[in-house]
Amino acid sequence: MQNDSRSQKIVDIIQAYARRHSLWILAYGTGCGAIEIPSTMTSRYDAERLGVRGAATPRQADVLLITGYLTVKTLKRVIRVYEQMQSPKYVIGFGSCAINGGMYWDSYNTIKMLDQYIPVDVYISGCMPRPEAVLSGFGKLQDLIKAGVADGPKRYEENFDWYRANQKKIIKNWNFADYNW
Amino acid sequence: MEILQYIFGGIITFLLAFVVGMTFGGTRRKIIARIQNRYGPPIYQNFIDAFKLFSKTSAVHHGAMHYMGPAFLMVSSVVSLMFIPILRDGGWFPNLNFHGDLIFLLYMMVFGSLGMALGAGQTGNPNSAIGVTRGLAQMVGYEIPWIMALVAMMIQFHTTSITGLMDVQLQSGTWNLFASPFAFVAAILASLGMFRYAPFNIVGAPAELASGPASENGGKYLFTMMSSHSVFAFVKLTLFADLFLGGAGNLVELLIKTFLLYMIPVLYGVVNPRYRTEQAVRWFWGWPTVFGIIAIAYAVWST
Amino acid sequence: MNVIFLILILFLVGAIVTAFAGKWSSLLQDGLFILAVTIPAVLFFTQVEMNQLVGWTRGGIHLELGLTPFSYFFAILVLLLGVASAIYSVGFMHGKARKSYYYFNYLLTIMAMLGILFSRDFISFFVFWEIMTWASYLMVVMNGTRTQEIGIKYFVFSAIGAYAMLMAIVLIHAQTGNFLIQDFIDTYPSLAHGRQILIPILLLVGFSVKAAVMPLHVWAPGSYAYSPMSFTSVFSGALSKMGIYGMVIVFVTLLSHLPEGGLIRDIIAWMGAMTAVIATLWAIAQDDARKLLAYSSVGQLGYIVIAVAIGTPMAMLAGLFMAFMHGLFKGALFMVVGAVEKQTGTTDFTKVTGLIRKMPWTFLTALISIIALAGIPPLGGFIGKWMLYESLILSDHYLLVIVAFFSSTAAFLYAYKFLFGFFLGQEEEEWADVKEAPITMLIPMLALAVGSILLGAFPQLILKPINNGLISLGFSDSYGKLWETSTLFNEWGDKVVLQPIIYAIMGVFLTTLAFTYFRNRKRTRYVSTKDISTSGEIPLAHENLTFKENFFQPFLRAVEPVMKKQIDWYYREFGAGLEAIFNFTRRIYSGNGQTYALYAVIFLIVLLLLNGNLFGQ
Repeated sequence: MQNDSRSQKIVDIIQAYARRHSLWILAYGTGCGAIEIPSTMTSRYDAERLGVRGAATPRQADVLLITGYLTVKTLKRVIRVYEQMQSPKYVIGFGSCAINGGMYWDSYNTIKMLDQYIPVDVYISGCMPRPEAVLSGFGKLQDLIKAGVADGPKRYEENFDWYRANQKKIIKNWNFADYNW
Repeated sequence: MEILQYIFGGIITFLLAFVVGMTFGGTRRKIIARIQNRYGPPIYQNFIDAFKLFSKTSAVHHGAMHYMGPAFLMVSSVVSLMFIPILRDGGWFPNLNFHGDLIFLLYMMVFGSLGMALGAGQTGNPNSAIGVTRGLAQMVGYEIPWIMALVAMMIQFHTTSITGLMDVQLQSGTWNLFASPFAFVAAILASLGMFRYAPFNIVGAPAELASGPASENGGKYLFTMMSSHSVFAFVKLTLFADLFLGGAGNLVELLIKTFLLYMIPVLYGVVNPRYRTEQAVRWFWGWPTVFGIIAIAYAVWST
Repeated sequence: MNVIFLILILFLVGAIVTAFAGKWSSLLQDGLFILAVTIPAVLFFTQVEMNQLVGWTRGGIHLELGLTPFSYFFAILVLLLGVASAIYSVGFMHGKARKSYYYFNYLLTIMAMLGILFSRDFISFFVFWEIMTWASYLMVVMNGTRTQEIGIKYFVFSAIGAYAMLMAIVLIHAQTGNFLIQDFIDTYPSLAHGRQILIPILLLVGFSVKAAVMPLHVWAPGSYAYSPMSFTSVFSGALSKMGIYGMVIVFVTLLSHLPEGGLIRDIIAWMGAMTAVIATLWAIAQDDARKLLAYSSVGQLGYIVIAVAIGTPMAMLAGLFMAFMHGLFKGALFMVVGAVEKQTGTTDFTKVTGLIRKMPWTFLTALISIIALAGIPPLGGFIGKWMLYESLILSDHYLLVIVAFFSSTAAFLYAYKFLFGFFLGQEEEEWADVKEAPITMLIPMLALAVGSILLGAFPQLILKPINNGLISLGFSDSYGKLWETSTLFNEWGDKVVLQPIIYAIMGVFLTTLAFTYFRNRKRTRYVSTKDISTSGEIPLAHENLTFKENFFQPFLRAVEPVMKKQIDWYYREFGAGLEAIFNFTRRIYSGNGQTYALYAVIFLIVLLLLNGNLFGQ
């Protein structure tokens, strides 16, 4: 099965289909963006029709939503949650804060660029992005999965030292136990 | 050869149960969505979810019991499935139902909760343990009306086997739904707890317990649990159809009957919030148990 | 010398020699101890012949010993558990104080139990019964904690039972003129009706105390919990079955002749059912493994009492099978607790946690035994439960089925609590260095667990001796009617065939296990129990995340009304009432000469007043 490239291709196609139509999100409600999640999920915009559904714990989730600015303190938690998720896993950064710090660009305790610390697949711009934008972000993620370029865990593994160095640079009290990764 | 036939038939039965259970689950999600004025996922959404979980490429484990928990759950579902007549005349679905009776089935059906509880225990997540204590408490609750309904039927028709109860309905021409109505009511009320939909979804309770026993399980474990739950839903529905609606002669009849039965917990659930654990337990020891006692009295009186 | 005497004397000599051997060498003592149990056991199974009576007459009293098929069944349990627990004891008592004391009483207890089973007359029966009570009493108070409360409770209740039995024996002697059990059974139908009722009830009181039937069970939880665990596995596994042994004989040989027998049986069955329910609920509330198992033992004996009290052939099979199974799995479970206690120093669920990776074999024993206890197929516990429910339904005890089923479902709760409490949950730093129990403790535990599995697949191994025993009590042969090789029937023709069930379960289990194990094998990594979903929080190694306190609180809240008062409370109130009366009586003796003079005067006046009436002129 593994060596047979043609059948492997079919399996890949089905897998990619399943993965992009079943996105279980772990909404890490850090900043003001968390308020956009309920309206995305409920009656008016109903993300569930795209297969987007809330997951309770990192182990079950596929997509990590970073909804807004990240303080240094929460970054630690985000890294831990990201590492607990099972691959294939995707990260969506919400709003300008996750992209470049946004209105907190000169704050002493928020991080500016999320993708220095964990691999981000999709950024949704806006302050805050409205549910339409969030849905289009999910659409973009689906496209990326279909194209096979949403390979966050692979990038994370390959550039693990770089990511860790960045993380350690900003998190002063690094107390990750060695059980973590 | 007979063994092969059983294994082959078992696989077919399992696939049927899997497909039907998954589709019913998807239908439930669609119904809930429509009641909430949403469009909702397609009814095959559960298959996509299951396949996605199956094709996760990494996993973690906490030890031997973590592997065994989902396996116990699957044993409970599949072995129960093997002992329930799918259709009145075996056909493509040979099974072992003449090798065990209702009391055996009763024990087989509760086995999964305990096994899964052990698997959840080893993950060490406090939420899992809390979910388990809730689930076991609720089980003690609904087993009482459920066993009362079954005992009532057993003493009314002098048999403890499922096929025996199906034959009784075939011979008399009336469904047990009408022959022993109180038992049916008690059993259906108990089934609300068995399905663990709202208001009895206190085990998973995503907002409180982070999905309880399942919280540390992703990927392959969750896939096993999800398929097991789907099969188990089919098992319960088929059992109810066999016991109270005279079983089914063909697949279409089976699907209609099980779907109608499935709608009871689903529709009761969508409009209800969640109970606290002790409320749930006491709920089952209220009216459902009263109906159970009436059922037994009726059975004694009518024999 | 007859081999029956030889066995008893070997035990006695073994007890004395073992007790003194400790002065020279501890190892020698251990060896002698194991020999002192195994040699008589081997002798028993190879040399003793069925139905052979040996007797002697002293001072006009004829005493008889012998083995019947019925007592043979119980002897299997006693010796099996006795040998297993003896081997376990060697490991358990290693390095503990008062080893000689323990060995002496242990051997004496086993001897007394065998003596009871051999006894064919009431005198030796009573003597052995008392030896058993005394020896086990000494075990209960052995570790010196709470002896006042626990020991005295056990002693008082045993005394109540013994006096009731003694009274019955005196009455019997007055009726028949000798002490032979068989003679009494033969003359029983011709007795006066009042005696016919009184004697069985007195005997039943005596036996109920040992079988811990409500309301005479009060001693049991404490005594089971506070004896050394290696002894408790015999205490709860075999010694309590002596009560069942006596009860069955009374039910079958005496009460079946009585028109009111059915009523008495129903009352006892309901008492058993109440015992099962209440004890199960209390077991759920315990936070100490020893107490949990102690209450659970009381509850499980409740089922057995239900079954033997119903007394249809199937119920008898069920009760005796459950009695044997209870010996196996509860014996193993108490051994598990002993092992945990020895390795960690505590049996408190709220303290010990996450031992599964440290004590895997102990966990395996516990898992198998718990599955057997919960009555889940395909292990042996299921067979007993199945036959119990079927027999209750078929003999029209509908409410009893519900009650029995309730308590056996509720038993899942404490079953889970037991496994979770010790072995699952968070692994804590405090217990990181715990080692697996020594091999002498593991082997007997695992052997008993294997016994549970074996009996699940081949119940005929033990159903056959039970059947033989029941035939000797006057039941008809149930082979082929109620059971066959690995098949169980009920009288309506429904059946359970165990072999296909076992294959199906094993097949599905192994397939699924292989799937969860081998799927993505290379990309499945082990993570510790700290690496869990904690909302992103990072628990440090010393942070305790275990959920143990108030474990079944929601359930206990739901059943709160039933558990407001323990039976103890009623006894205490009764005791307090008596004390108040005694206190009042004590005031009479004021120690003042004047008061006594007043009493004398009052007495004289009363005499004078009643003169005419009292002595009748």
